[in-house]
Amino acid sequence: MNDHASLSVSCVFNVDSQLTLSHPLTSPSRMGSVLAASSPNPPPPTSGGAASGLTVPPGFGMPPVIPSSGEASGQEQEDDSRLPNPGTFDECHRKCKEVFPMQMEGVRLFVNKGLSNHFQVNHTLLLSTTGDSTYRFGATYVGTKQMGPAEFFPVMVGDIDNSGSLNAQIIHQIANGVRSKLAFQTQQQKFVNWQCDAEFKGEDYTATVTIGNPDVLVGSGIVVTHYLQSITPALALGGELVYHSRPGEEGTVMSLAGRYTGSNYIATLTLGSAGAHASYYHKANEQLQVGVELEASTRMQDTSVSFGYQLDVPKANLLFKGSVDSNWVVGATLEKKLLPLPLSLVLCTFLNHQKNKFQCGFGVTIG
Amino acid sequence: MGSVLALSSSPGHQNWPFSPDPPPSHWDRRDGRLPNPGSFHSLHRSCKDVFPQQIEGVKMILNKTLSSFFKVSHTLHLSAVSPSYYRFHVEHLQSDDYSKDKDAPALIGEMDSSGSLNAHALLHLNERVRARTVFQTQQSQFVTWQFETEYRGNDFTAAVTVANPDVPRESVILVAHFLQSVSSGLVLGGELVYHRGRAEEGGILTLAGQYSRPNWVATLNAGKGGAHASYYHRANKQIQVGVEFEASTRTQETTTSFGYQMELPEANMVFRGMINSRCIIGGVLEKRLTPLPATLIMGAFVNHRGDKLQVGLGINVG
Repeated sequence: MNDHASLSVSCVFNVDSQLTLSHPLTSPSRMGSVLAASSPNPPPPTSGGAASGLTVPPGFGMPPVIPSSGEASGQEQEDDSRLPNPGTFDECHRKCKEVFPMQMEGVRLFVNKGLSNHFQVNHTLLLSTTGDSTYRFGATYVGTKQMGPAEFFPVMVGDIDNSGSLNAQIIHQIANGVRSKLAFQTQQQKFVNWQCDAEFKGEDYTATVTIGNPDVLVGSGIVVTHYLQSITPALALGGELVYHSRPGEEGTVMSLAGRYTGSNYIATLTLGSAGAHASYYHKANEQLQVGVELEASTRMQDTSVSFGYQLDVPKANLLFKGSVDSNWVVGATLEKKLLPLPLSLVLCTFLNHQKNKFQCGFGVTIG
Repeated sequence: MGSVLALSSSPGHQNWPFSPDPPPSHWDRRDGRLPNPGSFHSLHRSCKDVFPQQIEGVKMILNKTLSSFFKVSHTLHLSAVSPSYYRFHVEHLQSDDYSKDKDAPALIGEMDSSGSLNAHALLHLNERVRARTVFQTQQSQFVTWQFETEYRGNDFTAAVTVANPDVPRESVILVAHFLQSVSSGLVLGGELVYHRGRAEEGGILTLAGQYSRPNWVATLNAGKGGAHASYYHRANKQIQVGVEFEASTRTQETTTSFGYQMELPEANMVFRGMINSRCIIGGVLEKRLTPLPATLIMGAFVNHRGDKLQVGLGINVG
């Protein structure tokens, strides 16, 4: 329908203080989708724009490198005796997390404009009831080197806030099977996050090395290593090793991960000294997807269980997500495409029964 | 005087605007005689209906008509700034259009989840005389109890209201209204408020005038308590515009508001917007979701001076 691409970029900070960059495929275009989410279903046409705040929580902020699902599915079909590529370590819990609704408040206007096959620009205006209202400008550039059927490199994504906070990422495929990423994040004029990582994708394994916030003058830095190996076509095991160093202290955190993929479900478990994270994703039928998640943190000494579901009604252009939490938080998001206009309406409500707090918001996405 | 807390379903705003009735009949002529000017409270009504109502949080209203004279509605309001409530509203009318002169009682009652009650009883004593009683409580305490009698003549309306008569405390508020149609478009009248307490008593006189033409209505209330001027203009079938000016001597401040209403019957949509001299900008969108008997309401109000934003969502079913 559109000449220009509609690529949505969203940055989300989750509980484990990980910066996750996801590029859901919203509509196919001549430019091609650079970074398709690793889900086999078409991802929901959720609105983009950097949604949450820019504060970097203390700890380990690691943006994962997005895998290309084209490569993984291609390999699966080729030869049954060969094991498929398991995807990246950070993508393990992704399918379950995508089922949950995203919290939003105030009024949001998101305008997306494709200027050419390679360049796309977006404006976000957020009027907030609780915090400050912001305007954000973002741009995406996709290069000319073609790696797969719908993949082009390098990819440069950036956005800047009205207060001057900047998010920038450059992703490039250096060699066959090696992808690298550079990411920067500032809070107004101060750099809070700068990192570089390299991802090696083998036939049945993925290894990632990330260097975060290296500071030669102060002598601090974080190095994260991920490794994920396919043991059988359904089972993938792996681990994460985080080494952080500051003048005066240094330490490591290690966690192990396992993922089992069934015919219509995915069960993932991550265990480590920082806590445990278990998630179960189930696709009941074409319309209903369900996710259950358990998170336990040794640092904050608490656990939480969440149940979420997603109802997709493509005939009515409707997408409904609901969630219930053990923190007594009930939330729902309704998204509706208002055809024939290239307009999408999002209504969102969250109610925290324990603190008796209520939040509602709505947003319009154009383009 | 109007200190009565509005019912949650008073006519005008909550009624679906695409009613088959024509616009207010001030300018309809009945066989050459001057028409009845209506009641004093509805002088500024056409202008006020153009403005969007402040909406906050999530509100769900379920309307159910149990029979031709019995209507029930449930309201659930979840709010971030004020406490959430559930409200039950019941109406007993002889017909669904209680503006017609029929000698039949109309009883309206509303009960809150905190125990606040709002009760109206409207009695048509005969063709020309109407009596109205209003009781309002805030949880268990009565805040308003008033009794009103209105006489509608051929070309005039006179009403007397006794509000909060309190014999032990020797306090009462008496209000007298009078409206007279002077010509086919011009209505003049006045309001006299007499309030008496244990230590003080006083009277306030306000004069009112309204001039109406087929496309616009201009109204002015002026008195010692302040002034209230409003102008309502119907540009075409879809757009209505209202300008309002209020000045109060008691609070020593004035407010000017500009509002407009845009109706798109093909899209089943009504949009009302307003901008204020207090730097408040607001808009409310109402959309009827055919074929369901539901209406979706979305609204936002921004107060630029205090930098506050209020967002509201509502759904009316039935």
